[in-house]
Amino acid sequence: MKRLVLVRREQPLRGGQPLSFLIGLVVALLAGILLLVASGHNPIEIYERLFNSSVGSSNAWAKTLNRAVPLGLAGLAVAVAGSMGLWNIGAEGQILAGAMMAAWIAQIGEGWASPLLIPLMLIASILGGALLASGPGIARAQIGVNEIITTLMLNEVALRLLQWLIHGPWKDPESRGFPLAPLLADEARLPKLFGRAHWGVIIAFLVIAFFGFIVSRTAWGYELKVAGSSGATARYAGISLNKKIITVMVLSGGIAGLAGGIELSGTSDRIVEGVSGGYGFAGIIVAALALMRPSGVAAVALIFGAVQVGGLSIQTLGVSSSVSTILQALILFGAIGAGVFNRYSLKSVKREKKGGST
Amino acid sequence: MRRRLLMLLAVVLTFGAVASACGSDDDGSSDVKAAFVYIGTPGDAGWTYAHDQGRLAAEEATGATTQVVENVPEGTEDFANYAREFIDDGYSVIIGTSFGYMESMAALADEYPDVVFDHISGYMSNETNFGNTFGRMYEPRYLSGMVAGAMTESNHLGYVAAFPIPEVIRGINAFTLGVRSMNPDAEVEVIWTSTWFDPAVEGDSAQALIEKGADVIAMHQDSTAAGERAEAAGVRWVAYNSDMSAFAPNAHLTAPVWDWSNRYAQIIEQAADGTYSGGSWWGSMADGVVALAPIADDVPGDVQAAVADSQQAIIDGELHVFAGPINAQDGSVLVAAGETMSDGDMLGMMSFVEGVIGSTG
Amino acid sequence: MTSDSPLAIELVDIWKRFPGVVANAGATLRVKKGTIHAVLGENGAGKSTLMNILSGVYRPDEGQVRINGEQHWFHSPSDALASGIGMVHQEFRLVPSFTVAENIVLGASEKIIRRSFIEKEVEQIAQQFGLAIDPTRPVWQLSMGERQRVEILKTLWRKAQILILDEPTAVLTPAEADELGKVLRKIAEDGRTVVFISHKLHEVTAFCDEATVLRGGKTVASSLKVEEVNESDLAGLMVGSSPMISERPPYQEPGEAMLTIEGLGTLDDRFLPAVKNLNLTIKSGEIVGIAGVSGNGQREMAQAIAGLRPITSGKVTISGKDLTNAPPSERFTAGLGYVPEDRLGVGLAPRLTVTENAILRCYKNLRKSIFLVSEQAVNYCKEIIERFGVRTGPIDEPIAGLSGGNLQRLLVGRELSGNPKVVLAAQPTRGLDVQGVKAIQDLLIDERTEGVAVLLISEDLDELLTLSDRLLVMHEGEIVKEFDPTTAHRHDIGAAMAGKRDES
Repeated sequence: MKRLVLVRREQPLRGGQPLSFLIGLVVALLAGILLLVASGHNPIEIYERLFNSSVGSSNAWAKTLNRAVPLGLAGLAVAVAGSMGLWNIGAEGQILAGAMMAAWIAQIGEGWASPLLIPLMLIASILGGALLASGPGIARAQIGVNEIITTLMLNEVALRLLQWLIHGPWKDPESRGFPLAPLLADEARLPKLFGRAHWGVIIAFLVIAFFGFIVSRTAWGYELKVAGSSGATARYAGISLNKKIITVMVLSGGIAGLAGGIELSGTSDRIVEGVSGGYGFAGIIVAALALMRPSGVAAVALIFGAVQVGGLSIQTLGVSSSVSTILQALILFGAIGAGVFNRYSLKSVKREKKGGST
Repeated sequence: MRRRLLMLLAVVLTFGAVASACGSDDDGSSDVKAAFVYIGTPGDAGWTYAHDQGRLAAEEATGATTQVVENVPEGTEDFANYAREFIDDGYSVIIGTSFGYMESMAALADEYPDVVFDHISGYMSNETNFGNTFGRMYEPRYLSGMVAGAMTESNHLGYVAAFPIPEVIRGINAFTLGVRSMNPDAEVEVIWTSTWFDPAVEGDSAQALIEKGADVIAMHQDSTAAGERAEAAGVRWVAYNSDMSAFAPNAHLTAPVWDWSNRYAQIIEQAADGTYSGGSWWGSMADGVVALAPIADDVPGDVQAAVADSQQAIIDGELHVFAGPINAQDGSVLVAAGETMSDGDMLGMMSFVEGVIGSTG
Repeated sequence: MTSDSPLAIELVDIWKRFPGVVANAGATLRVKKGTIHAVLGENGAGKSTLMNILSGVYRPDEGQVRINGEQHWFHSPSDALASGIGMVHQEFRLVPSFTVAENIVLGASEKIIRRSFIEKEVEQIAQQFGLAIDPTRPVWQLSMGERQRVEILKTLWRKAQILILDEPTAVLTPAEADELGKVLRKIAEDGRTVVFISHKLHEVTAFCDEATVLRGGKTVASSLKVEEVNESDLAGLMVGSSPMISERPPYQEPGEAMLTIEGLGTLDDRFLPAVKNLNLTIKSGEIVGIAGVSGNGQREMAQAIAGLRPITSGKVTISGKDLTNAPPSERFTAGLGYVPEDRLGVGLAPRLTVTENAILRCYKNLRKSIFLVSEQAVNYCKEIIERFGVRTGPIDEPIAGLSGGNLQRLLVGRELSGNPKVVLAAQPTRGLDVQGVKAIQDLLIDERTEGVAVLLISEDLDELLTLSDRLLVMHEGEIVKEFDPTTAHRHDIGAAMAGKRDES
């Protein structure tokens, strides 16, 4: 009897990333063919649509980029916390908090010009997310409360707060009793970069690059990584953890909040419950696939965004949402997850014979 | 290793070549193609299920091609992205079945004047290619209230409601009026779940009402959880959206249900012959878009007969659910005797009638 | 318990190799039925590996396992349990929110068993062996001693005939430990066999019938009758020769005092006193060795000096500077190099790269405003690698791929690169191969030659005897005796390690 085991390579394959990406993608697409044929679709037609709708035209790129923005920022939020070994599972709620703050500024600043209003909205969104994440950060640093649980629970708090606002104080009198916040003014909407792609793409890219740089190039980022690798080592190196935990959680929340502000201002008509769009949870996957490295988040988010856009698009050809989701997962983990073979190799080992007393 | 890799690559490239060769097949059909955008999946047995049943029937009736996308969230770009995709594929009718698609549909209707957009449950429209469709669900709700009012023994009924918006409040009021037409002492207690589909919350809310003494549970969400709790507790249940008797065979009394087939066929036909003209369409039991599901066998014959009479009277226009005299929750006059509430007032209804326990805040 | 009792356990000539390490090199263990048998040895002597083989966690590369005279080949702990072998691990494997009875049943059977039935059964077993415990209480309410009783009950309930206890007293108070001794005796009198792993000598002599001593993966003394040996003998057997390569450096006159410790006190992880009123002075150019059976406060002393454990009393001074309350980084700047016992996890950060680990102590000097200058970091790292002969892969890859010897070279090299006045080395050669041991020992000798004061804590007596200028023996948090390594007898050192005080 033989079985396959993953064996860690003594040295990671240098320059293996593009190759493993390609192989993983091909394997995933081949497996996807089986899935599509089994569910009664023409895989060629589906793949063509998948490709064309996500990266096949400038319109397609606009969709992909717009989607990569919240994915990338949420992924960055999780990765920044993750580089210190903290788990921010609350990006979803922080996105909502950011969007709420931005929507609030948009209401206060009715009639203000875009160059004033939009930056204020985005700053407010950062504060909103940061505020929501600061509680778990302080609780973790001061009394050791597990941040996974607190951040997760605050998601619900943020959602309920938004529901209350929409059903109560923010209800638009012109909505005939329907629970709707007022429409965003044109001045509150992010200008377009090209096609329907908005300027959030640039903002998100700069923010991700900035944090990628901070974490990999500064002493502060270095301390973060030491603390993330081993708390005892950090103490040994004279790095104080408590202040850093709070700072990192606040930054993480702020980044997620910014995603909410950009989502609201860039793609929404008004603030609704769906503004967070599950990006906060998807961000955990983005960060994990980027191996918790902020610098890797942008690329993963772009691929993730393209796969999501393509995966949604093929549903218009009659692929059910569940088959589409499986296909998306296949491609994503095939293409990105194959990177594991840069560090591990597959070996088959003999299974020992059963014998003895049993 | 390298050789195998090359072969793999060759296979993929071949697939690619084939793909581009046969990607542009065109069947030359000129039939209308209609796309439906769902908030959930037909598997919910509720709201989306009813729409999908309507779509299938309309497809059968008109011969049109239809396509659906499921689980499309509100408030994101997804709706617009789907719609554009469909339009690029030659679809000329886009039907959105959730309230939150409204702004996207309005904007798209401007952008694509040749495409018909019909929106379920909203209020925006234009005079040409954008309309809204809804049904006077309060009519069958009233009838279901009659059944519930006749069957309650504790004179305490529960209503597990989604959000305090006019559509839901109108339903609660109509139900309560139906209950009290049979049983003037009965009261209807409301719990808000702030959910449209969350079986855990909705089931727990039903449970809470049952524990407070409610022996009939009505509901306004898309899950069947309330019915399952009623079944387990041995009390009765008025379902919603579709005939849900399979989920709680003993508890199920009846259900006010949607039947979208005729309306969908109508939209598709109007789009095909160019007569679609937007505007608001608020269909009634007479139009068939709303109806009452079959009533449980153990409901006494005289009750069944009374409900049937009222149903006929509503269809004939002789009975109007919101015809005065109706008192508001605090006892003041809501609709004076001899008057009937206007459509505008009904669409903006934000207060309860007498006999409802709970608040709209 | 007679000498002709049949053998319950026979492990014969067991070999087990792991990558780079031979954990068991011909270990043998023979345990008579109905006895309590101690397995003694320092950390790394191969006790745990041998017990893991006995309990089915590992499979031996060579050798035989016989239980009650029958040859066995275990594939898993459940296999071993089926043959009546149960292990009580050092870390308890209990679910805190479950009750005692629930924990005992957990994983034992696929069948659903009535709770009241189990509780009665557990109660019965508990009474039989004097294990006072309420089966209905949730585990989180229990003390460590009570939790251990649950673990013991778990093996008894599963009808284990052979119980292995891995350092059972490490988590217990002295009173609880005495209580445990009585329980184990009852279990043995019931005809079952107990294997007791420890390095606390007085417990071995108090509780056990026989003892087997392991050193370097081999059995150095088999089935000694405890009545016939004393603690000093055992201590002498436990410590001893590793492959010594370095030669004793020539005598040199020590300089001025560099590290002064006055009246040091600190607590262990259970907040019990671990070091009591300890006084120590180390002069420039001398190596002071600390010998002692592990668990006598060496680890806590090192951590207290390094600033990783709060000091409850006393004073630590490095070349005249009071550092009693200074953070670790300040101590480094003041000239303290520290090689911690836990290389990975304290000394080194496993997920970080070679470079990132190399600059751990000095990264603040490699800054230009907020930025870390990567060329400087790389140069610094390369310097360490060259000077200390660290063999690594690419220096921008995580250190996880490095061998134990190279990890330690990197760590020691980093600590020495700050040109320290005092080096505190805790178990610096433990677990290293021959070359690694020599390299590290030579580095310490070089430091001494250059006038650095070295405090060397080791479990390897030969290493201490070779390298030290003075040898101190620690017992229960105190220094009990000082030896001149050039003239000391192993037997006397062993006696001091067992607690025999300096008469002077």
